[in-house]
Amino acid sequence: MAKKLLIVDDEKDVREFAANFFRKRKIDVTIASSGEEALGLLEKQKVDLVLLDIKMPGIDGVETLKRIKERDKDAKVVMVTGTKPEEAGAFEKCRQLGAMDYIHKPLEMDELEKVVLKELA
Amino acid sequence: MAIDYKKELEGAAKTMILVHEPHILIKMIVRLFVQKVRVKHAGILLHHSDKDTYVLTVSGGSAGLKIPAGFARMDADNSLIRFFRERLDRGIFNYGAVVFEEAKKALKKKNLAEDVRQILKGAMHQMEMFETKVCIPSYFRDDLLGILLLGSKKSGRSFARKELDFFIALASDVAMAIRNAQLFGELELELDKRKRLFIHTTVALAAAIDAKDHYTHGHTARVTNLALSIAKKLSQKNRTEFNEKFLEHLHIASLLHDIGKIGIPESILNKEGPLDEEEKKKMQEHPLVGVTILQPIKELEDSVLGVKYHHEKYDGSGYPEGLKGSQIPLIASIISVADSFDAMTTDRPYRRGLSKEEAIEEIRRVNGMQFDPQVGSALIELYQENKI
Repeated sequence: MAKKLLIVDDEKDVREFAANFFRKRKIDVTIASSGEEALGLLEKQKVDLVLLDIKMPGIDGVETLKRIKERDKDAKVVMVTGTKPEEAGAFEKCRQLGAMDYIHKPLEMDELEKVVLKELA
Repeated sequence: MAIDYKKELEGAAKTMILVHEPHILIKMIVRLFVQKVRVKHAGILLHHSDKDTYVLTVSGGSAGLKIPAGFARMDADNSLIRFFRERLDRGIFNYGAVVFEEAKKALKKKNLAEDVRQILKGAMHQMEMFETKVCIPSYFRDDLLGILLLGSKKSGRSFARKELDFFIALASDVAMAIRNAQLFGELELELDKRKRLFIHTTVALAAAIDAKDHYTHGHTARVTNLALSIAKKLSQKNRTEFNEKFLEHLHIASLLHDIGKIGIPESILNKEGPLDEEEKKKMQEHPLVGVTILQPIKELEDSVLGVKYHHEKYDGSGYPEGLKGSQIPLIASIISVADSFDAMTTDRPYRRGLSKEEAIEEIRRVNGMQFDPQVGSALIELYQENKI
């Protein structure tokens, strides 16, 4: 059965592009445009991996990660960060909270593909 | 509908002359491809020299294919970048573009060197990830400035040779425009840096004068700020902008107005009491000593006028030359008012400084005799507006 990936990003172009990219790689992709929406979706369905943008309005990536892990400590989450130093610092926090890995924007598509496929394997 | 490529190219070239902002230019190019050539998506990878990486800066087209700006990058070791940087396209394709279908055929050729085959394969993998059918590199001399990525046409047709030629011509024009804009930006930055270095050097020099003269600590900085405020007030009053050059000269001249005091003995500068005639004469040499110090610096010619004449008086009773009225350069008149006001309001060992109100009263009293009336009034107005 196809693996399930949830992509959470407030930027529509990013969601659509990443979703299209992974669907072409035979992955069952669901998208959410905010932390709130992602948490709601996860209540109804289980996914194999969450690709989570760190910087979002409302509940940001770090807080979303925390709540995902509170509900399911085995949930796998990969963070997508920007290159700004404050966000790099935020990643340390994410690792402590149990994030598997992170990639920073702008990213190499090879890297994104590798990280996601590795976690889904 | 067929496009008249010649016309489009001419139009684009004309626009490029008018648009100096490369980012806007690139956006226009991407729009041209999406709307006129009707590709499903188009994007441009642009070189960022600080990290030697290519970032997908601008993109347009349908959802899911359009690559979000700032989302993806390709580093210098990325196959697609290597392919173009090492000019491997030259040996394989006989024009500047790489078309996916043709690259596939090229891979099958027996005479292709193995290392080149590997890089081409990697480059095609990159093209596949971005669902790109055609890549057009953009060079300035031998530097790869960027790559234009084009998706397939909405019609499903392949790209004609004539179209590719048009794209390549466009890419080379864009490269030129980008490079020009970058060079222009770098030049401005360099100029700015030099200007700042110069101002900082001048400030350091001025600090050296202040350090020597114990009683006037901070005097130079205050005179400089005041002189610039007066100039601003004057331009408001006369509804004429001073040009930037004048303000620069005034800035430098105010910083250096007392530089000649380097040549005055400290026993005179720091004397606790009024100066006798002999000492006064010595003290009055400082504007000309300043001129002697600054004369070798040709670029300071206009500022030197401010240094030389800042002790002249409007009625002709000043020094060193006893210039009168409009003979005194404006730059010197402004420094004169600022300098006097600060001297009046600063404590000396043998007298307390005046309050601002008293100093303004004094300036009002001698305005038109000691000071250029317009300049004196500008200072008085600044005081009335609580700006000093």
